[in-house]
Amino acid sequence: MAGRAALRGVRRALLRGPALPAGPGPCPRRGCGEVAALRAMGFSQEQAQRLLALQPRVGPEHREAAAAQLLLLGLNAEAALALLERSPALLRLPAQRLRERAEELRRLGLDEGRLRRAVSRCPQLFHVPRKRLEAAVRLLRERCLFTAEQLPAVLETCPSVLLEEPRTLHHQFQYAYFRMGIQQKEMVKARLFQMPFAELRNRHIFLERRGLYETPHKGQTQTSNPKLKDILWLPEKDFLASLAYSTPEEYEVFKKLLAREEEEKEEEDVDSLYTEDDDDDLDGDGS
Amino acid sequence: ATTAPRIPSTRLALHHFDTSYSLHLGALWPSVRAGLLCEQKYGALLNNFAAADHVPQQLELLNATDFICEAHQKAQQWQRGAEARGCQEGSGEGRTVMQAEMMAQAEVSPPLCASISSKIKCYTFPRGDITRFRPARPDSLGLLDYYLMDAASLLPVLALNVQPGDFVLDLCAAPGGKTLALLQTGFCGYLAANDISISRTKRLHDILHSYVPKEVRDIVSVTSCDGRDWDQVKGGTFHKVLVDVPCTTDRHSAMEEHNNIFHKRRTKERQMLPMLQLELLMAGILAAKPGAELVYSTCSLSPLQNECVVE
Repeated sequence: MAGRAALRGVRRALLRGPALPAGPGPCPRRGCGEVAALRAMGFSQEQAQRLLALQPRVGPEHREAAAAQLLLLGLNAEAALALLERSPALLRLPAQRLRERAEELRRLGLDEGRLRRAVSRCPQLFHVPRKRLEAAVRLLRERCLFTAEQLPAVLETCPSVLLEEPRTLHHQFQYAYFRMGIQQKEMVKARLFQMPFAELRNRHIFLERRGLYETPHKGQTQTSNPKLKDILWLPEKDFLASLAYSTPEEYEVFKKLLAREEEEKEEEDVDSLYTEDDDDDLDGDGS
Repeated sequence: ATTAPRIPSTRLALHHFDTSYSLHLGALWPSVRAGLLCEQKYGALLNNFAAADHVPQQLELLNATDFICEAHQKAQQWQRGAEARGCQEGSGEGRTVMQAEMMAQAEVSPPLCASISSKIKCYTFPRGDITRFRPARPDSLGLLDYYLMDAASLLPVLALNVQPGDFVLDLCAAPGGKTLALLQTGFCGYLAANDISISRTKRLHDILHSYVPKEVRDIVSVTSCDGRDWDQVKGGTFHKVLVDVPCTTDRHSAMEEHNNIFHKRRTKERQMLPMLQLELLMAGILAAKPGAELVYSTCSLSPLQNECVVE
């Protein structure tokens, strides 16, 4: 019953024409009709007030339309509100834009649950220019060779890849693929792109220099390397104790030394260490 | 025809170290390995011949300390502590334990105190502090204020414990850091600095000219002989002999590709190293007076190049 009422409220919000600018004035006068509209969509009195407090200059139609879109994505009222509170700028986007972006994301393979989770993790998905989005997807598909099944999994768990400069993304991918010898499947499972690149490097190179991680040779399928997901996600204490066999003090000093090495190497094109040039694509099997 | 894939010499070196040193060092090896692959700990060996009295203060403001002086202080404290414990009374069992401890410390402390030459001063930044030293600067006469070196390289010189008037032989002296440290004691009556390589001996000359005034350089004799032949030149005349032999230069071999001793073309040379090292050690022994002291050192972790040669 409540659900149907909410949908009715949502449809009403979407069908309303262009917004009249919200008049200035004390909240109760302005809010009365709006609160009712929001409550009809399924927000509680308290939630509606919180929603009204965001971006006060945005017209009621906009506000309701944006909220409606989020609800249509499957977020519940509290989740939608939380998202808007984290990223109030969403309220300024036209509902049309929100709808279209949701469609684009769906076409990339993000079905309802995945889409909801991706958007919750990363509200900026709505803001990022289409060109950037397309470039990132193209990179993931054509240069990194993530499969049609893997791509939505990456987007769901690491939606920020769509925000990143493709070059940076590619760099991180190449590092994992060539330098660490990790296949796409493991990258997806370990949520590689959720980890800032610098931290990945710190942990990997620490292990490598200690002799505990070895780049596999061409064709080598089995290694005794620790799993990527452990390298990335074990809390530092556990990483040090069970993977690196080291101490926090040692790791701290190492990170400082490595950071300085990096600074001094900035001039060099690091890519050239493990790929011929930037246009190099992966070969299917070893050559 | 296909050529075999080029494996970098540094990788060959590391593989070699992984195989031998992990056995030898056990759980310590990962830390040591990472240590070899990161920047070394530098020490600033103060030049006692330069007019640079402000330098120690400058360095201390930066939080660097003379590690030799610190070690000397620690050893003195330790010795005082051991003496104090000796005076304490304890329960039967406690006394036995304390006695054993005292014995062990008594064995160690006096030689430790004596051998730490306080004339050599070398500053390092504290543990975990990776600050670098500024480059050395000349004083009003053009002598540089300190010499930057791997701090560990000083240990063989400290162990040699040069006493006033000693005739000292540095059998494989180039490029000259340890030679310079020997001169810093101010105790060398005569110093023979030899190295087989003429090009590296040139670097030794440069160092002497940059750091040491003429009157001190006059007591140094630089030669370019094969160290194995030394005893034929001047047998049995030295009070102190330093034999800092050519070795696999582990840190260098793990990091530098150029002229790496682990390259295939130098395999024979590398395999012959322990023998060469033994011959140099023998020559050093023969060059020493009876009752003299000799220090044998390498910059390798390999037991084959260290314990095995000496034993």
